Amino acid sequence: MRTISLYVEKESFIHGLDPVTKLWLTASLLIIPFIVGNIESTLVCLGINLALLSVARVIRRIFSILAMSLVLIITLFIIQGMFYGGNRTEAFALGSLVFYREGLRYATLLTLRFFNIISASMVLILTTRPSDLIESLVRRGLSPRIGYVLASVLQIIPMMISNTSTIMDAQRSRGMETEGRLVTRMKAYLPLMAPLVMSSLVATQERAMALEVRAFGARNPKTFLHEEIISRHALPIRVLTSLGLVAAVIWRVIL
Amino acid sequence: MKPEVMVQDLSYRYDDGEEKALDGVSFEVYPGEFLGVVGPNKAGKSTLCQALVGLVPHFFHGNMDGRVVAGGIDTRETTVDELSKTVGLVFQNPFTQVTGAKLTVYEEIAFGLENIGLPRDEITRRVDEMIALFGLEHVRHHNPFELSGGQMQRMAIASIMALRPRIVALDEPTSQLDPQGSAEVFQAVAALRNQGLTVIMAEQKVEKIARYADRVLLMHKGKVAACDRPEVVFSRDNLLDLGIRPPAYTSVARELDLRRPDGTLPVTLDDAVALLRNSSVNS
Amino acid sequence: MRVRVENVRFHYRLGEPVLKGVTLDFEGEATAIIGQNGAGKSTLVRLINGLLKPVSGEVRVGDWNTGDFSVARLARRVGLVFQNPNDQVFKSVVRDEVMFGPKNLGMSGDTALASSREALADVGLEGAMDANPYDLSLAERKLVSIASVVAMNTDVVIFDEPTIAQDYAGVQRIGTLIEKLKARGKLIIAITHDMDFVAEIFPRAVVLRRGEVIIDGSTREVFSRPDLLRDSFVEPPHATQLGQALGLSETVLSVDEAVKGIKGHRSRLGGLAGSDTAHDQQFFQ
Ligand SMILES: Nc1ncnc2c1ncn2[C@@H]1O[C@H](COP(=O)(O)OP(=O)(O)OP(=O)(O)O)[C@@H](O)[C@H]1O
Ligand SMILES: Nc1ncnc2c1ncn2[C@@H]1O[C@H](COP(=O)(O)OP(=O)(O)OP(=O)(O)O)[C@@H](O)[C@H]1O
Ligand SMILES: [Mg+2]
Ligand SMILES: [Mg+2]
Repeated sequence: MRTISLYVEKESFIHGLDPVTKLWLTASLLIIPFIVGNIESTLVCLGINLALLSVARVIRRIFSILAMSLVLIITLFIIQGMFYGGNRTEAFALGSLVFYREGLRYATLLTLRFFNIISASMVLILTTRPSDLIESLVRRGLSPRIGYVLASVLQIIPMMISNTSTIMDAQRSRGMETEGRLVTRMKAYLPLMAPLVMSSLVATQERAMALEVRAFGARNPKTFLHEEIISRHALPIRVLTSLGLVAAVIWRVIL
Repeated sequence: MKPEVMVQDLSYRYDDGEEKALDGVSFEVYPGEFLGVVGPNKAGKSTLCQALVGLVPHFFHGNMDGRVVAGGIDTRETTVDELSKTVGLVFQNPFTQVTGAKLTVYEEIAFGLENIGLPRDEITRRVDEMIALFGLEHVRHHNPFELSGGQMQRMAIASIMALRPRIVALDEPTSQLDPQGSAEVFQAVAALRNQGLTVIMAEQKVEKIARYADRVLLMHKGKVAACDRPEVVFSRDNLLDLGIRPPAYTSVARELDLRRPDGTLPVTLDDAVALLRNSSVNS
Repeated sequence: MRVRVENVRFHYRLGEPVLKGVTLDFEGEATAIIGQNGAGKSTLVRLINGLLKPVSGEVRVGDWNTGDFSVARLARRVGLVFQNPNDQVFKSVVRDEVMFGPKNLGMSGDTALASSREALADVGLEGAMDANPYDLSLAERKLVSIASVVAMNTDVVIFDEPTIAQDYAGVQRIGTLIEKLKARGKLIIAITHDMDFVAEIFPRAVVLRRGEVIIDGSTREVFSRPDLLRDSFVEPPHATQLGQALGLSETVLSVDEAVKGIKGHRSRLGGLAGSDTAHDQQFFQ
């Protein structure tokens, strides 16, 4: 049983930060390029993100994700290069296909933004346990019910997937061919949806009762089993990111 | 002595139920007592357990008559989470009791304690105590879903016991355990009883109930067919008609017409052995 | 049909062996598999019906090596009732659920229906044909899962904890059903924690402990070894415990045997010692 999570367990300065500071950091580095709007700011933020990822020793993970998006990026360059609305200046031509500077520049901006979004999110995702993030948010006033739903979905979805294979085991054991060609497998999968939903619903009702008797609905302030450790770097980082945000807004308004 | 649990003329019909799941049930349980609940499938054991913690009527929207007072609280006049500080319930199915939001057995057991807002050091103390009591040391850091059925069942009991309820209802808590494992659970519950816990346990294992319960509530079609000491209830001669079998020791004693001084049949191994040894002296 | 498990090793995760070289031969006799939680019992039966394939060693069902056949093919010979009925039941009408296996095995509509009717009647659910299994109680759902496998009429029928959630009447009904299958010449294997049930129904018992067979023999022999059983977290049937506590010379397996044993013991010793009460005191030591 695994939970849905890309968290990579390592010891690092970034791993040691509390989830909310990281959330703050990620959000700022993600938004600043959009506020400022130019390629340069995007490059700076992307650079910071990649630096953070290498400090956390998880930078390799991001390369595979970026490599997977290569097809998307090439398509982006082709379409924008040829058909971007602001296309004026021809850059080069491949036979009868003409590519324009403005389109290619725009495609570069989009690509960098895309890389930046991915790497900024990964700073948070690769270095933070989802449950820790949720718990931090609950500490800061997120409703425990919403927190519970988020946390349990992360575990219960993998469980539903393993349920699928259990039901297929039940079918195979009673003579239904589920191995072999794709069509055979699809035929085996389709009838699974109803029982999956059914058994999940039954389980949900019972689980809801089980939560009630463990005082889940109690209105008193809850305790958190783990003490929240805020590293001494948290404050400077929050101050810096806030300053960065303010600077970006000023840049946008004034220039 | 004042009863710890008072059930008065309790009747309940589920929304979509044709017949009453509980029909005029009345009994009392005294502080520190262990009441075993036996009866065939559908007798109403689970429904009764759910009524003790207020899930009936607060969670199900059926029709309830009568009164349940647990630890001095009328279940109808309070909420389930308020009651959960006084009365605990361990459900029949261990799998659906896992919260699904915690990553280790340790955190899972702490869940309820976080909810009632205990200080952190008290939580760790209680969780450690429960882990030791229910033999979960070697799986303390395992994912709750990766346990065997038996370990899951122990974790479910530990999660409730950690809340230190004054009263606990256990619904067939040893159904998936090997014989040794179920003996351990009965012993653990007995140990907690010495600290004043009041226990109500539904079980099919009549030999275990005969050994550990102070009194036995025999249910049949939602009604109370008997409520008395184990040797009185299990000495009845119409037990099979009521859908349960007597303990094996009791059946042997009946065949040999071996009775205790008060006219009842022995219901435990020790009792049967002692009687047999004595009888051979007198025969 | 004969089932042979030869030196089978199995693990789910490398380095955590679950079966450590199990060899068993099943032919004719109904066999109970017992042992502590997590010993590997369910794993063993999943290897027999082909859902799992051995890491080494082999499993043969008749002349078929399970490694060479799909689970669906093997289902013609082996029926397996899962431990948890919620893992097995997947149709929304009991009738469809029970007829699913027979139809897949190629029975005609009429034969499949007749076979399903009979199986449901055997578990006492003839009235539940049109019910939704999810509206039934856990105990009833377990009975539906049993009927669904029995209706397939396979030569080998395996039950993983058939008596879960059952009351006395349910246990009796399942016992009667197994006796009926035995009489039809089926090879029966069942896993259970209910030792009274083992003693009543199964002539042979296999005790598994941490992935190894530690006793394999007639049920009476197996239950005469309380020392070995204790190591496996198993205890003998209640009647047997009584006999052992009284020091009866024979291992008794049922209430009736215990009664006979005690009477015999009394009269034998009584006969030898006359009615001398001083001797009688040593009857049961
Ligand atoms: N959620 C429900 N909705 C409708 N009817 C229910 C529900 N739960 C139980 N019942 C019905 O109430 C009656 C009593 O059921 P209950 O589950 O309390 O019996 P039980 O003694 O616990 O049985 P078992 O030994 O099978 O666990 C039964 O007739 C049952 O069908
Ligand atoms: N799908 C799985 N993945 C990983 N480990 C598993 C899986 N299924 C079982 N195990 C492990 O394999 C071992 C044997 O499990 P198995 O289910 O065969 O036990 P069992 O003897 O049937 O126990 P029980 O009496 O509790 O049903 C256990 O330690 C269990 O944790
Ligand atoms: Mg019940
Ligand atoms: Mg098993």
